[in-house]
Amino acid sequence: MGITDKIQGIFGKKEKNVLPANNKNNVAIEVDDLVMEFKVTKDKIDTLKEYVIRTLKRNKKEKEKIRILDGISFKVYRGERVGILGFNGAGKSTLLRILAGIYEPTEGTIKINGKVAPLLEISAGFDKNYTGKNNIYLNGAFLSMDEEYLDSKYDEIVEFSELGEFINYPVKNYSKGMKSKLGFSVATAINPDILIIDEILAVGDIKFKKKSSEKIQSMMKDGVTVLLVSHSILQIKKICDKCIWIENGKIVMEGETKKVCDAYVKSSKKK
Amino acid sequence: MFDTFAEKKFLLKQLVKRDLTSKYKDSVLGILWSFFNPLLIMLVFTAIFSMLFGRSIENYPVYFLSGRLIYDFYNAGTKGAMNSIKRNAYLLKKIYVPKYMFAVSSICYEFVNFLISFIILFGVMTITGASFHLTSIYAVIPIFLLVILIFGIGLILAVCNTYFSDVGYLYNVFTLLLMYASALFYPIEIVPSSIQILFTLNPVYSAISCFRESVVYGVVPDFSTLLYLAAFAFTVFGIGIILFKIYEKKLVLEI
Repeated sequence: MGITDKIQGIFGKKEKNVLPANNKNNVAIEVDDLVMEFKVTKDKIDTLKEYVIRTLKRNKKEKEKIRILDGISFKVYRGERVGILGFNGAGKSTLLRILAGIYEPTEGTIKINGKVAPLLEISAGFDKNYTGKNNIYLNGAFLSMDEEYLDSKYDEIVEFSELGEFINYPVKNYSKGMKSKLGFSVATAINPDILIIDEILAVGDIKFKKKSSEKIQSMMKDGVTVLLVSHSILQIKKICDKCIWIENGKIVMEGETKKVCDAYVKSSKKK
Repeated sequence: MFDTFAEKKFLLKQLVKRDLTSKYKDSVLGILWSFFNPLLIMLVFTAIFSMLFGRSIENYPVYFLSGRLIYDFYNAGTKGAMNSIKRNAYLLKKIYVPKYMFAVSSICYEFVNFLISFIILFGVMTITGASFHLTSIYAVIPIFLLVILIFGIGLILAVCNTYFSDVGYLYNVFTLLLMYASALFYPIEIVPSSIQILFTLNPVYSAISCFRESVVYGVVPDFSTLLYLAAFAFTVFGIGIILFKIYEKKLVLEI
């Protein structure tokens, strides 16, 4: 327990406990009975001809539906750091994508209070023919920052990315590491209330890896709500104060990090 | 996400800029092609058809160009919006962006092109000694209605084309038909009067004829034509918005 206490001290957990944790106004994320289904047909009908023919033949085949999430409900209070556990295909990433607004759930509701920074696909918005500089603005726009804000953050982003002169070169000439450095620098330039992370983004070389995880930690220290998907139990134990374990689209267990993690590890050994 | 107007405005600006730079990225002349394209097409049509229709049309280059600019804007704007969702599929699956922004930005981009090509029209009118009229101000009305029409059609097509890609191919044929039914390069008088009624039902032709009346002929555009165009445009606009609102959230699952 000694180590946990130390870590909790680092992350300022004590401050959080001062807040009335069950106050309604302090809910950052509320997910209620979330269901997500994807339609899967073995051969997708995407031309009008096929559609008409199959309708006429009454052979439209009931589209198979796959339920990725099946009635998930939970609440995350402001300032909480919640880890999401589960084996591959459990529905963790889908859940994060719904919370990031990419997918619309089939059923159920989600309520989010505050500005979200999704650190999911950090270099998705890059235009490879643009220079690094133009890409900062383009990507910033995709992450819903406005011009004024980006102007004020621009120097900080460039400095953090360590790209120096290369910022004026087209991104297509960047190495993979440089690209993710830039993506990370832009994505973390937001001052979010809620941070959604799919695997801690430790990108670049050793030096930058350290810097980027420090950056995330400093964001967390400011009382940001965190939702973290990770396969690293160590990381989850270090960061999160609450855990949700998802299996086949359902919540198996929810509660204190240590308890959930232990149960999760135990179940993985059984199989 | 995207709650304030400033955020949306900035995204729109960035998307239009991206379209402008990516379109001409490997060309030497770059954005100058926005000038040359209509100019060269006009020269070709003038060379071929002024012999045929030159006698019945006064100042053929201006007649053709004034129609062609409107048709080009309609054609490129609706097609841009139609393909906007598919073109940005990879992005829509990875980050949250309001989907209509892509349709809006591609129409804005075509509008910028349209405005640039006015310089060509102005130049050709000056060179050919056409007279300029104060009534040109009225051209703002059909252009505004045309923009509304393009938004409506574009949104409808964006939804349909995402579900069925045949819509795109069909629409390509349709716009060809539309071009011939818009009296771009021939005088409307050569069409039998029974078929001329069909032309008056074509909203793009309505926009072209109102535009020509105010800019080329120096008269106030026909009120009933404008009214028809307005009714058509706003109806389509309404349908487009409703349809897009219904399907917007499901589009990501279809691409």
